[in-house]
Amino acid sequence: MKSLHEIKESFSIAYGAVKANKVRGMLTTLGIIIGIVAVVTTMTAANGLGNRFKESISVIGSDVLYVSRTPWVFSGNFFQFRNRQQLTLKDGEKLERHLTEAKAVNPRTYSNQSLKYRSTVLENVTIIGTTENHVLVSAGAPQFGRFIIDNDVQFKKQVCVIGWDIKEQLFKDVDPINKKIKIGRYHFLVVGVMEKLGSAGFFGGPNFDRQVMVPISTLMKCFGGRNRNFDIVVKAPSTEALYDFEFSVIGEMRKIRKLAPTDENDFSINKMDTLMSAYNRVMGVVILIGLVITSISLFVGGIGVMNIMFVSVTERTREIGIRKAIGAKKRSILIQFLFESSSICLIGGLIGLVMAYGVTQIIDAFLLPASISPAIVIVAIIISVMVGVVSGIIPAYRASKLNPIEALRYE
Amino acid sequence: MGPSGSGKSTLMNIIGCLDTPSGGAYLLEGEDVSKMNDDQLAEIRNQKIGFVFQTFNLIPRADVFHNVELPMVYSGLSSSRRRILAEEAIEKVGLTDRMKHKPSELSGGQRQRVAIARALVNNPSIILADEPTGNLDSSTGAEIMSVFDQLHQAGNTIILITHENDIADHANRVIKLKDGLVESDDFNHKHYAA
Repeated sequence: MKSLHEIKESFSIAYGAVKANKVRGMLTTLGIIIGIVAVVTTMTAANGLGNRFKESISVIGSDVLYVSRTPWVFSGNFFQFRNRQQLTLKDGEKLERHLTEAKAVNPRTYSNQSLKYRSTVLENVTIIGTTENHVLVSAGAPQFGRFIIDNDVQFKKQVCVIGWDIKEQLFKDVDPINKKIKIGRYHFLVVGVMEKLGSAGFFGGPNFDRQVMVPISTLMKCFGGRNRNFDIVVKAPSTEALYDFEFSVIGEMRKIRKLAPTDENDFSINKMDTLMSAYNRVMGVVILIGLVITSISLFVGGIGVMNIMFVSVTERTREIGIRKAIGAKKRSILIQFLFESSSICLIGGLIGLVMAYGVTQIIDAFLLPASISPAIVIVAIIISVMVGVVSGIIPAYRASKLNPIEALRYE
Repeated sequence: MGPSGSGKSTLMNIIGCLDTPSGGAYLLEGEDVSKMNDDQLAEIRNQKIGFVFQTFNLIPRADVFHNVELPMVYSGLSSSRRRILAEEAIEKVGLTDRMKHKPSELSGGQRQRVAIARALVNNPSIILADEPTGNLDSSTGAEIMSVFDQLHQAGNTIILITHENDIADHANRVIKLKDGLVESDDFNHKHYAA
């Protein structure tokens, strides 16, 4: 009860002190404002980046494994994988036969070709040879037209489904369905357009909208079937079962590849998690560096607050003497000045948050999907109060230790 | 009373529990306060001593009401109780109409009345006044002394430090100091004659 009154008193003193020295307070808080803006913006930008990345790789699907010759992310030299046998279409067929718990198995193979429609040419487009199972394992469905069907694969039909960016760049306002385009030297009939999927492009990942899908058999017929490498995409019964499913896939693959128990796997299992954890590793370091740099500005701001608190204590030596004479204990004086420094920093923090909100809106509009989360707001408030307490503690302690007689005599 | 350098202020600091004696003991209402720590002394000052200083020593940013209320904030009274007691004390010194004024908006005499009200408000055992009229002209000084006289008649113990004889004349008992020693300790017979 007693300390509650003291806290209330401290609050009104702090309020009065800040009000009495508006310009000084503003200048002091400036350091904190800049620090909080920097910290909050760093965190929201990192969050936005993470969300963008997650969004862009969500096309892959969280319950899907890619069996490939090489891993997507690895450390060390690429040549460690050079002796691995290529994955063949046969491997895919065997896996489909034996892996009965898989929801779907979808072999894929890739080729880079140029596209041509009338006089428009697009160079270096990823052509994916795939099957009707593609839409079962990967996100995205045709926006217009249809996807490849088993009939297309069986009869090696020269049909294709184009990505959203291809439609935009190649056809502009023309309806692409049932138009003929040239992939390399071959004519293909456009039967569908995929919905917009997004891109992991700014991380050096694939742009899922700049792809053309054709029947896997047609790709092999047109662009060569020998010595071709395949990915086998398998869908687990559920996301929860992915872990166990991975072991079954590895087991089946080892049998298919006729590996001895002592041999290492000569294939790699890739999944969304692989990319996510690689991203988190890199971003973790980037965020850490960012936070270290931005906390330097907070530190400098805190020094400014400490400085002004020393001035404030000296200025009010006499007031401290009076308060002590009429019965203020050390603790009361300590609380009073801690409250003052924390209030200055809290005000700075709140102003900083408002400004960071503005900066975030700009980032959101022009760069990245960014938003300030409630957690960041709470962290920013806690940080600013902590800076206030830490930078106020030495001046406040000094004030609380003042001898009342000397303080009363101070001019 | 005594000339400067006679030890008046040191004695006042010890009586007022602002300082502890380097030797001997000081019993305040039977309690030995000479061995207490800073926070215990603060509590004694809060409960048992009311200070009136020569230089008023009000808190400049706070208004009259808040200055008077302050000792009770540190003793932990509720704000409604504080309001009643503070208004009562302010009324005693006749400043009810100046309640919301800052010290800088008051005359010297008025400021000293605020200080007296602040000293009174916790109902202390001793009101300790250190040259309370030293910074005031003689007519205002007389006004302040009449306030002290009233308080004294109402039963308050007042210890007043001065070097002026006409101020000392108001007291029942006069202790004269010289070079740190008690020179004389007399009853003021004028008051008892009356």
